[in-house]
Amino acid sequence: MRTVPFAVCVLCIWLPAAGAPPADGARGGRLVYAQRAEPKTLNPVTAIDAPSREVIRRMTGDLITVNRRTQRPEPNLAESWTVSKDGRHYLLQLRQGLRFSDGHPCDADDVVFTFQVYLDEATHSPQRDLLMTGGKPMQVRKLASHSVAFDLAEPYSAPGRLFDSLAILPRHLLEAEYRKGRISAAWPLQSAPERIAGLGPFRLKRYLPGESIVLERNPFYWKTDGKGVHLPYLDEIDFLFAGSEENQMLRFLAGESDVLNRVSAKNFKALQTEQTRAASRLEDLGPGLDYDFLVFNMSASSGRPWFRMREFRQAVSLSIDREAIARLVYDGRAVPLWTHVTPGNKLWVNTALPRPARSVAAARGKLAAAGFSWDREGALHDPAGQRVAFSIVTSASNQERTQMATQLQDDLKQLGMNVQIAPLEFRAMVDRVMNKRQFDAAVMGLGGGDGDPNSEMNLWLSSGATHLWDPNQKTPATPWEAEVDGLMRRQLTAMDYETRRKLYDRLQQLEAENLPFICLASPNVLVAAKSTLGNFDPVNVDHYTLWNVEKLYWLPAHSGGSR
Amino acid sequence: MLKSYIARRLLNSMLLLVAISMLSFLFLEIAPGRFLDEMRLDPRVSPDTIYAMRQQRGMNDPLPVRYGRWAGGALRGDFGLSLAYGVPVLNLALPRMRNTLLLTITALVLAWVICLPCGVWTAARPRSLAARLSGPFTSLLLSVPELLAAGILLLLALRTGYFPAGGMFSPGGRPAGTIRAVADASRHMLIPVLILTLAVVPLLLRHVRAALESASGAPFVQAARGLGIPERRLWLRHILRVAANPLISLMGLSVAGLISSSLLVDVLLGWPGLGPLFLDAVAVRDTPVVISVLMLSALFLVAGNLAADLLLYACDPRIRTE
Amino acid sequence: MRARLRLWVAGSVVAAIHVLIVFAGFFAPYDPTEQHREIPLATPFTINAKGDGRAEWFTTGWRYRVLGVVTCSRHLFGASAGGQVFVLGTDPYGRDQLSRVLCGGQISVLAGSIAAFLALLLGLVFGTVAGFYGGWTDEILMRLAELFLALPWLYLLLAARAALPDSLTPGQTFLLVASIIGATGWARPARLIRGLVLSAREREYVHAARGFGASHWYLLTRHIVPETWGVLLTQAGILIPQFIMAEVLLAFFGLGVGEPVPSWGSTLSYLRQPWLAVTAWWMLAPLLVMLPLFLGYHALASTLQQRAAAGSG
Repeated sequence: MRTVPFAVCVLCIWLPAAGAPPADGARGGRLVYAQRAEPKTLNPVTAIDAPSREVIRRMTGDLITVNRRTQRPEPNLAESWTVSKDGRHYLLQLRQGLRFSDGHPCDADDVVFTFQVYLDEATHSPQRDLLMTGGKPMQVRKLASHSVAFDLAEPYSAPGRLFDSLAILPRHLLEAEYRKGRISAAWPLQSAPERIAGLGPFRLKRYLPGESIVLERNPFYWKTDGKGVHLPYLDEIDFLFAGSEENQMLRFLAGESDVLNRVSAKNFKALQTEQTRAASRLEDLGPGLDYDFLVFNMSASSGRPWFRMREFRQAVSLSIDREAIARLVYDGRAVPLWTHVTPGNKLWVNTALPRPARSVAAARGKLAAAGFSWDREGALHDPAGQRVAFSIVTSASNQERTQMATQLQDDLKQLGMNVQIAPLEFRAMVDRVMNKRQFDAAVMGLGGGDGDPNSEMNLWLSSGATHLWDPNQKTPATPWEAEVDGLMRRQLTAMDYETRRKLYDRLQQLEAENLPFICLASPNVLVAAKSTLGNFDPVNVDHYTLWNVEKLYWLPAHSGGSR
Repeated sequence: MLKSYIARRLLNSMLLLVAISMLSFLFLEIAPGRFLDEMRLDPRVSPDTIYAMRQQRGMNDPLPVRYGRWAGGALRGDFGLSLAYGVPVLNLALPRMRNTLLLTITALVLAWVICLPCGVWTAARPRSLAARLSGPFTSLLLSVPELLAAGILLLLALRTGYFPAGGMFSPGGRPAGTIRAVADASRHMLIPVLILTLAVVPLLLRHVRAALESASGAPFVQAARGLGIPERRLWLRHILRVAANPLISLMGLSVAGLISSSLLVDVLLGWPGLGPLFLDAVAVRDTPVVISVLMLSALFLVAGNLAADLLLYACDPRIRTE
Repeated sequence: MRARLRLWVAGSVVAAIHVLIVFAGFFAPYDPTEQHREIPLATPFTINAKGDGRAEWFTTGWRYRVLGVVTCSRHLFGASAGGQVFVLGTDPYGRDQLSRVLCGGQISVLAGSIAAFLALLLGLVFGTVAGFYGGWTDEILMRLAELFLALPWLYLLLAARAALPDSLTPGQTFLLVASIIGATGWARPARLIRGLVLSAREREYVHAARGFGASHWYLLTRHIVPETWGVLLTQAGILIPQFIMAEVLLAFFGLGVGEPVPSWGSTLSYLRQPWLAVTAWWMLAPLLVMLPLFLGYHALASTLQQRAAAGSG
């Protein structure tokens, strides 16, 4: 084995969990989990939909996991790792005695094979972009049977996060498919269970088309509890395909499913009134990472010059009754937002920013100062005399966003703006906003699993494709966008948290001043489970409830687990 | 004569199917948004990757090429590859179609079992209370939205706890043993079948009654009555036989709706039929799946009409001379 | 005699509801889009008495237009200054439910009627042409009708709605939605009318007129189309409720006329969550108007049908 020719700093930090430490449970029982939609595949390389990933995550293992409770990287299949001082070289040590769920041993060859597959352009894996630094793929070398080296073209500021959720693949089952160029067609839902193997706590038992996927305990899973009992505690997980949030609710209320992963505030309220019947535990975990916002089309081609006027956006922001959105749309289970980083993102939120209260008078003052005027009927006209009228597109299937848009319409009427709402089918809306750029304004939501600024590179870079208000700019259109570009690039390669945090604080300050999108609210993460589910420790980031599935168990009082 | 008639009908049906597939393909092409568009919102995935993923699925080819590929699959019998699942559509559709047919055929048989005797009864005794109530009753049923019926029944299931709140089997998958599996499935079928039957009964009852009433008014029936043939025998032997013509056409129409009638109920109640698959495919723009399900539904329509016409041909000598 | 009575009862119920809907502005105490955000989901018969507010008859309130012409601000009832009265409660935005049901009726019934008119018009044209000319024309048109019957129209509506531009006012969207519903629904009436035309074509007097050299246009307008009026009226009685339901279904998928314009569909779409039907049962209020209206239409249709049958028999 070659010695590693650089100074190493150990980044493996163990932090105590914020909640109670997990209790030692009892083995046995079945957990029923109703999914919103049917998964499309069991292939971790090509899966793109949330239901597929929900299932695949329970069947596979990654090298380093970000603990969803502490938000810190934790050893998983790699028992330790080191990072070079320049942040470009990683050395990972695999655990001894790892076995796939079919009993086949796992070593460095599997890891090298896995990264070869993900990084191969011909595989078309959506995860490939995450493994690129400075536009180049990372290099992966086997050093010994249980140690692997990774070389990056540029330093990456969030070591460990690179490896999270990247499922290690069994070379013995998939290499032949890969050589034939058929890796992306491997492991469809109908696969025979013995053809699929992973390093997660569960493995495939049975698939009923349109109905359910049943996973059973992986007898070769490496993790043990405090007493040395092999995890997971549960014998089986049933993933039922409910089809809609309403059906998920129904299954839970009827006692057929045991966990509700995320429910809307209105449904949560209904759960509270029915709680006694289902003997369930409801938890409001506070705001998650999602943010709802109003975004204007600031491209030069939009034909609405006011969208590019900062005073206009500030006036709009001042006129919005965010409290009413939190109260009416989310039944009080949301926080009003002024920038896109939610209070739920404790590591990164800038709490020093002002939160101007709603004031129609102040908003009108801003508009008047910028040369806008009102006619006798109270309608707003821009400095050129054009009537201020525009439409807001939103996703028709999302009741909350439609309601938000309706309230915005009412708020903006106070300023004399004539706003139409166009609820569109979700993909039609995405097409308008992202591809065709034929829209005035949109009410949308973003967020999700990762609170780290690195996941937002393409959102903030003025050249980014998801720079919603004016994407793919050749050169930054405004000075503040140029500054944001610099801030994001610098934080991507800065290696310590404090530096990155300062850069990101400045970004949020620029965001609050210039309002490229006008943030509205962040809904609380609301979950529920049967009260007899032990070690149930939901968190406010994806995956909310099943992230510690291997430790879940049924308390003795439970009678339904072994139905 | 019969052969050329069948040949002509078959040719017509084939043309109809081709037209439907082309039209739906065109329609989906016009509808904004394409498969994988939702990934455009994820800042972690670059547009190049999305382009490559589309390239791999052949989505960047021109429309005629894609249609040709699907049509080739349809001729081969596997209906092409699904964009989202990456497997032949037939593998997806077959098990789900079985579940859908289980619902709709049960509901259809039930509806006919209810409507035929009720129709005869009310048509034979037009002045009875039942006959007078049947009109308002059917229009009440017609006025209640299917959605409302589904909502109320689901709520009932929830409150009483007697019926499962969706799905086809209880959690844990199909129970071992045929009898227990059938029992479990039929418990789950109760509510969806009830909704589907209630949706069919009012219209069917009206049509059956109208057919029987017009048959009972025929001159030969008056004559037979005059000859003193007992009313019971008159209805069962003669009137029903005369009314068979419109009834057979009705039956054909019911068969035609076997696939499409339950799509909404499938979705509302989480039944593992074609409904959720289809709606999901429409939502994510999985064109081959959408077209194939439409084709299956059209196939049933064509087959139902054809079967009805052939039956008519066999039953009614007058048609043969046309 | 009984049939006549039934016709009268059904007719007057339908007429009464239509009056209620046409003059909705007068009967509705509030602007249906006005949001009383401080009291969302108020229960029915909430009288919010701030100060000395109480319910009063014949008040002056929001301005509305009658039949799109006369502007007026007189209302049947309302609350005196400072008070609020919500007879059917409020929705999640705090909008008056009674006003929404009544004004929503304007949209829903108009949508249903326009769609039915369009479907019947197309059905009449296609059915007559197919039946009268026969041959290839007939073959093509009837296959086309089968095609329209075969396609699951709900999903076509979803796709078509998505293809519309977004900068439409709710009024334009509404017209488009109504015409899409109508344009997809012509197949069934067309088949019925074709059948009628086929038999009418063979009547002796039609043959006679043809023999005298009557033009096709003359034959169609004088002898054949008049035969179809009964069926058209009956079909209207069936189709209008059916198309009102289609609007409800579209709204159920969030693709109806669009907020903040009220419609029965957008109110009933709360049925998506069945348990809301219990905790906020007044969201089902449109059914109070819909059910009698539909029953009335159906009764009218069946009575007309019986009359037609009696007339021809």
